[in-house]
Amino acid sequence: MTGSPKEQLISLLGNDAVLPEEDLAPYAVDGLEPDAVVRPIDRQGISQVLKWACSEGMSVIPRGGGTQLNLGNVPDKVDLVLDLSRYGSRSPDHRPADLTATVDSGITLGVLQQALARHGQFLPLEAPLAASATIGGLLAANTSGPMRYSYGLPRDWLIGIGVVSAQGVETNAGGQVVKNVSGYDLNKLYAGSLGTLGVIVEATFKLSPVPPESRVLAATFPSLLPGMQASDSLLQQVFAPQGLQVIDGHAARQGATVNANLRGMGTANDTRGAVVLAFFAGRNRAIRRRMDDATKLLREQGALDIAGLDGSEGTGLLETLTDLGWSGESIPYLGLKLSLPPSAVVKLVNQLTDPATTSDEQDPIDLEPLSLGVVADPGFGLVRLLWWAQGADDGQSPADGRIAATISRVRDLSRRLGGSTVVEHCPLSVKKGIDVWGETTETIDIMRRIKEKFDPARVLNPGRFVGGI
Amino acid sequence: MERDRFIGQLRDIVGDRNVIFHPEDLLVYEYDASIDRGLPQAVVLPADTDEVSRVMALAYREGVPVAGRGSGTGLSGGAIAAPGGIQVSFTRMNRILEVAIQDRTAIVEPGVINLDLDTHVRRLGLRYAPDPSSQRACSLGGNIAENAGGPHCLAYGTTTNHVLGMEVVLEDGAVVNLGSLARETPGYDLRGVFTGSEGTFGMATRIMVRLLPIPEAVKTYLGVFNDIESACTAVSSVIGHGIVPAALEIMDATTIRAIQQSMDAGYPEDAGAVLLVELEGLLEEVDEVGQEVESALWDTGATAVKEALETSERERLWSGRKSAFGAFGHIAPNLYLVDGVVPRSRLTEVLARVGQIGEQYGITIANVFHAGDGNLHPCMLFDERQPGELDRVIEASGEILKVCVEAGGTLTGEHGVGLEKKEYMPLVYSQADMDAMIQVRQAFAPANMLNPGKIFPDGVPHRPAARRPDPTMSV
Repeated sequence: MTGSPKEQLISLLGNDAVLPEEDLAPYAVDGLEPDAVVRPIDRQGISQVLKWACSEGMSVIPRGGGTQLNLGNVPDKVDLVLDLSRYGSRSPDHRPADLTATVDSGITLGVLQQALARHGQFLPLEAPLAASATIGGLLAANTSGPMRYSYGLPRDWLIGIGVVSAQGVETNAGGQVVKNVSGYDLNKLYAGSLGTLGVIVEATFKLSPVPPESRVLAATFPSLLPGMQASDSLLQQVFAPQGLQVIDGHAARQGATVNANLRGMGTANDTRGAVVLAFFAGRNRAIRRRMDDATKLLREQGALDIAGLDGSEGTGLLETLTDLGWSGESIPYLGLKLSLPPSAVVKLVNQLTDPATTSDEQDPIDLEPLSLGVVADPGFGLVRLLWWAQGADDGQSPADGRIAATISRVRDLSRRLGGSTVVEHCPLSVKKGIDVWGETTETIDIMRRIKEKFDPARVLNPGRFVGGI
Repeated sequence: MERDRFIGQLRDIVGDRNVIFHPEDLLVYEYDASIDRGLPQAVVLPADTDEVSRVMALAYREGVPVAGRGSGTGLSGGAIAAPGGIQVSFTRMNRILEVAIQDRTAIVEPGVINLDLDTHVRRLGLRYAPDPSSQRACSLGGNIAENAGGPHCLAYGTTTNHVLGMEVVLEDGAVVNLGSLARETPGYDLRGVFTGSEGTFGMATRIMVRLLPIPEAVKTYLGVFNDIESACTAVSSVIGHGIVPAALEIMDATTIRAIQQSMDAGYPEDAGAVLLVELEGLLEEVDEVGQEVESALWDTGATAVKEALETSERERLWSGRKSAFGAFGHIAPNLYLVDGVVPRSRLTEVLARVGQIGEQYGITIANVFHAGDGNLHPCMLFDERQPGELDRVIEASGEILKVCVEAGGTLTGEHGVGLEKKEYMPLVYSQADMDAMIQVRQAFAPANMLNPGKIFPDGVPHRPAARRPDPTMSV
């Protein structure tokens, strides 16, 4: 083929599928504007684009709803953005009697949940900005939310997958049944691979019945540590909630800008406080028992106020918490995600909030004038540290060196506690100097060999994954 | 002689007593619980990771293929040595190293028996959920290799949903750690793809598993039906009520009679089928859901619904289910077990087809299966002394797998592909699909020294010998 990349793509897929040059700016990844953006509407188109890109030596950045685009290292190069938001107009193949569904990867989580709800079922997974987050993006980025304690991760619900390889060949793994050991479980490999091994075009999931009722308990505590301790105690009980989040006053205040329910928590004026949000789902009598027993325990553990919220308020809270750090104003200046053994979460919070317990002379997390918000999931073992610029202090941001030092201190801390830290948000100038996934381990050789086998020409998302894969 | 030198080197690593190489001693290592055979040239019993690593490095240098072996309960030939190969047996690596109560995790060696782990952690208020019916004998290392299932996987998922990480020795002896006690590890989910890799990627030498709290209450029902169709309808009805029980197991008339002949499990002998339903959770939950389950069973034509009121009664109901395979010895001297899976909603029609295939080939087929998962276990009961019978069984099993795949299902739900089903893989996967899988294996084991010749079709047809029903055999 001859002509500019754009002309060649037009001759492959037609005018409609290729964006005009003046529209490319919003598709930049880490400041790198693509040469072209192509939006195929079917698998054949996706396959054609990849075959072409592979033969031309072009790099391809797959893109779903664009909600997680800043995740990952700065790409080595951004030649072509493969926008999958127009792919997925087919309605989900929902098989309610089997409790399974097969969907095109371009469908959004929000649309899928609506379709499944018609038969009283849902996919127990969460993603920030569910109205725009696509299923392909959810899988590639391995998103989760406040219910991950009982839901688990995308890997736990994905039973079948269709992928177009970097060479443009469609392959499938898994199937439509909930138990399957025919061949290797490549579902696990693709989930969380950040689009570096293939472009996900189809996914089959196990589903769950929508619980008849859901409720939330919101309990305020004078500070983070007693809130964490009460949560740890609650999580050990038979009446434990199905999801639990502990957020500090700064995070609650940020959340309150979009969700009035967080405003009534007595934290708006005291950012030292903390809120424990316990999410319950199930049948009526069981929920009442859980709520009653949990209320009693939280009170004994020193909760200041405890409020019960109904199902729709709970849904709103789940959405607010899932989106926190990803939507509009709440996107932090620096955002870290720490994965830890559950019992290490309280230790981490202890060390963060009481610098005297650390061996460092320096406060490990002080990034004045930024303010730190903490969102912790002590049941699952996940903490998000979000540093926001105070509205009035805009323009005065900490030097890159200080930010990099903070990242490295938090990393040391999480490693000592048996976990890891991923940088989800940071200034581009800092990002250029680090691996957002952290130090690699001895497994990197196997990972590199997998990438080498699947995508030897490094077409897909080059440089963005661990160790620059 | 070459072999003597190699055996001597193995003995230098693990000690003289821990290498088995006399032909008569090797016989028990020739088979597992499948119908496959393969005599290893030696069996090595290492004591720790370092010994495993040195054994693997030696075998790698010598070009000797290696198969891992836990307890030898596998049903697809996963532990069978390749020609000229050795087995690494993990029976000496059987320690529970650590249980973290608050984190609900345990770290174990691969030779730990599934039920021993569960029993150990139950004293601490916890449980290990995956419960293959061979759990009294099978090892955690083997469970990982095969991604073992079990009746309670309906609610809790299979082994892969409970393994957090593992230390692995690769084919050249290198030791790597996959996953971690933290739930997310940056990078590809290598422990996820390792689980179920049937011993072709590496040997797990330390395993980190997730534990669950023991539920406050358990309720077990036995629904009695005139025929298997009604029992399947009951399964759909329970799921249709928005209920996902902890377990949903069906046994047909042939199975019921075989079991009742060997023990009194409490199943009515004139029943056409029975359905075991187990609920777990808070007292209020099992109470509320229990009422719904009971009415679902009656509404779909149950002739009786019994609730196990005492623990001993529940254990009796389950003990019948778990001893089904040994009990088939009352009906026929030989047994061949198929592990196909179909979407739940297709159970009735596929079972009807299975029945027709049995008639067509003149083979008695008993059905005992994980109905909630759509995981069939047609058991072909036959006598290998009758000329041609084994051939008919193998052909009929192929027919059944085709029917499962045509119904939107797959070849195996929990037993693995191994040797016996490798030639059927093209029924489910294209060459490109299998190529992608093989590429992953090449990343873990570039020289293909671990369990070569398994999982993927290579044109060497599988020709098994028959196997007698064995009381220790279970699924």
